[in-house]
Amino acid sequence: MFNEMLKGGDVRPEYRIIADWVEREGIEALLSKREEAESLFRRIGITFAVYGEGGDPDRLIPFDMVPRVFGASEWDMIERGSIQRADALNAFLRDIYGPREIVKAGIVPLPMIEGNDAYEPVVEGYTPPRGIYSHVVGVDLVRVSESEMYVLEDNCRTPSGVSYVLQNREVMSRLFPELFSDSVIRPVDGYGDMLAEAMQSVAPPMCEGEPTLALLTPGHYNSAYFEHSFLADQMGIELVEGPDLFVVDDRVYMRTTHGPERVDVIYRRIDDSFLDPQVFRPDSLLGVPGIIGAMKAGGVTIVNAPGAGVADDKAIYTYVPEMIRFYLGEEPVLSNVPTWRCSETDDLKYVLEHLHELVVKEVHGSGGYGMLVGPASTKAEIEAYAARLKADPDGFIAQPTLALSAAPILSEEGLAPRHVDLRPFVISGKTTRLIPSGLTRVALREGSLVVNSSQGGGVKDTWVLSEGGSDA
Amino acid sequence: MLSRTANGLFWMSRYVERMENIARLLDAGSRMEALPSPPGTKATEWASILIASGCQTTFPEPLENATQANVSAHLVFDPENPSSIKQCLSSARENARAMRTAVTREVWDAINQSWTEMKRMEPRGTLGRGFPEFLEWVKARGALVRGSIDATLLRDEGYAFIQLGKRIERADATARLLDVKYHVLLPKTQDVGGGLDYLQWLQVLRAANAAVAYRHLYRRTVDAEGVVDLLVCNLKSPRSLMSSVLSIAEELHDIGAYTDAQNTVAIQAERLCDHVARAEVDAIISYGLHEWLTDFIISINALAQDIGRVYGFDGGDVQALAQQTQ
Repeated sequence: MFNEMLKGGDVRPEYRIIADWVEREGIEALLSKREEAESLFRRIGITFAVYGEGGDPDRLIPFDMVPRVFGASEWDMIERGSIQRADALNAFLRDIYGPREIVKAGIVPLPMIEGNDAYEPVVEGYTPPRGIYSHVVGVDLVRVSESEMYVLEDNCRTPSGVSYVLQNREVMSRLFPELFSDSVIRPVDGYGDMLAEAMQSVAPPMCEGEPTLALLTPGHYNSAYFEHSFLADQMGIELVEGPDLFVVDDRVYMRTTHGPERVDVIYRRIDDSFLDPQVFRPDSLLGVPGIIGAMKAGGVTIVNAPGAGVADDKAIYTYVPEMIRFYLGEEPVLSNVPTWRCSETDDLKYVLEHLHELVVKEVHGSGGYGMLVGPASTKAEIEAYAARLKADPDGFIAQPTLALSAAPILSEEGLAPRHVDLRPFVISGKTTRLIPSGLTRVALREGSLVVNSSQGGGVKDTWVLSEGGSDA
Repeated sequence: MLSRTANGLFWMSRYVERMENIARLLDAGSRMEALPSPPGTKATEWASILIASGCQTTFPEPLENATQANVSAHLVFDPENPSSIKQCLSSARENARAMRTAVTREVWDAINQSWTEMKRMEPRGTLGRGFPEFLEWVKARGALVRGSIDATLLRDEGYAFIQLGKRIERADATARLLDVKYHVLLPKTQDVGGGLDYLQWLQVLRAANAAVAYRHLYRRTVDAEGVVDLLVCNLKSPRSLMSSVLSIAEELHDIGAYTDAQNTVAIQAERLCDHVARAEVDAIISYGLHEWLTDFIISINALAQDIGRVYGFDGGDVQALAQQTQ
């Protein structure tokens, strides 16, 4: 297991700043600051509702106070790799909803696309402004050694969590302002402007003058509502719900106290299936009737475009390195985790024989639900899972159990290593770029590999040091 | 501004004001109960408090069984009563949460923290010995929310809808508070203008935080004419009907009328303002204070409904409007 802070007993240069800080403050003092951190989060109102657990819907996502650190050169690789990946995924989406060169070239089989639940035939032939379908891509990364990072999965629909990135930093800088005074840690507060600029750059053809932006939320009962309102605030745009919008002659309007007002670019945080009851689920009260027609007519741009999810499916994932070569003519900067496609007979056979050492996931699943972590499962659990797998092999992929890197957390006994992952958020508009940070999720239980917040994971502030920062 | 946002801010503000007004009523009730009542007469303060709060329909028992204990429980904690202090706070918070981008962090903090503290309160301790302290706490939280609105919000349309909500709620509450006196029966042996009558008016003034102001402004003993003048006609009182309706008309003017229907409502508000401005204390009393107040309560609530309708709170006819503006 790769320990991000320690290398043979010595502190790695990137973590010097953390080691000094912990020594200066002392574990006791840091532990006592935890309560203060919690009350800051509560005051901000940042909470995370946990699906299927009942109880307090306003539960706080646990925050660990010890930041995770990346050096400048480490970040350079993550940045280049994530941008490359987002560019390739958008090229793929442009291609499959258009000419389908990658199918003709025999790289991705057609049934993988057309048979995919996230594929939206209604988008065929529609090319969004600048050819971008997925304007915000979350790339989930894990680290296994000093130099190796793997992409665990891509998130092309409506990846969430960026508000934690910004709020974790906010809380840290309120608790320990002196840490940020010498500008070694690169700031993260440009996210709102970056996203707003990207949205402005993809105004639809029918837009006249400055585009009006809005963020579409399912409403304040949604578990990510805090994030929606936070982001709307950061961008200074209206936070709208479906019933606030309506479509007349392929143009979208908001209901305002001054009467109807045009909206040109909508960052939607509701799922495809709820977007337009005329096209998708007819029972959806969250969506806007006619919005898909308006989009195709060039009256509005939807960010991210419907149908973008076909690119982040776990079955499509296995083809991403090929996409990078095919569309960009480059070698992937970040590798995929070696993956067995259970849809293929040989792979299935291998997976069934090695279940106790593999991680098996549902192709369409998310949030850490419905997965099997072989080494952590009982014999009965493995047998039950094998039965599900045999019944629907196409629905599963398998990966080796990775030795995820560990970063230090604050525990009663001092610093203790726990497994972490990372989700940087790549924004595509006129350019493709990201803020120097990402969402670090941490498995707070000792030995656990599951970092999902719905399964008891926590979050950390994530630092990227400026050039030369780790030598300071 | 989004109609839904205007609606949310309007109601957030109404619920905060209502919570505080319920606390004032309970305060008045406690004070009246402490007044001497002749032996053999049945106390009616708590039934009258219930009527003044507008909560008699949600009260689970017959009105004549109203006591301090069951009225306080109903007006403070009862989840079945949308106007109970706890429910008001919950609704204010839900509205603020849904409008999170339209309020500042300070305003959100003030409401959210109040809710967090309220949630932790136990009925037994709160309604018992700690009751006066609790009522002070409610008023202090109301002041904190108002203060943070005043100190941190942009003076834009959202602010105007917040003021509208506050003023409509306050006008309604002041009218109801004045009407409490009508419902508290004076024992037969006591005449209007007698000692108990005086004490009851004094408690109404205290509930409106206006007893000291009364002395400064009128320099005479507390009587019906003075109290009605202060709480209906006097622009110097921040809780008088006059100051509320004037402010409502001004806010509507600032928001502006963009449609015929909005214009009609602005005129309706000005008329109500005129009506109160022209009312003289003697005329009100000879018309019947209770009757006059009842008319006023009907007018102010009709106005509130019309405001909601014409600014699209219910989402109603906005679509038709879009067709017209094409």
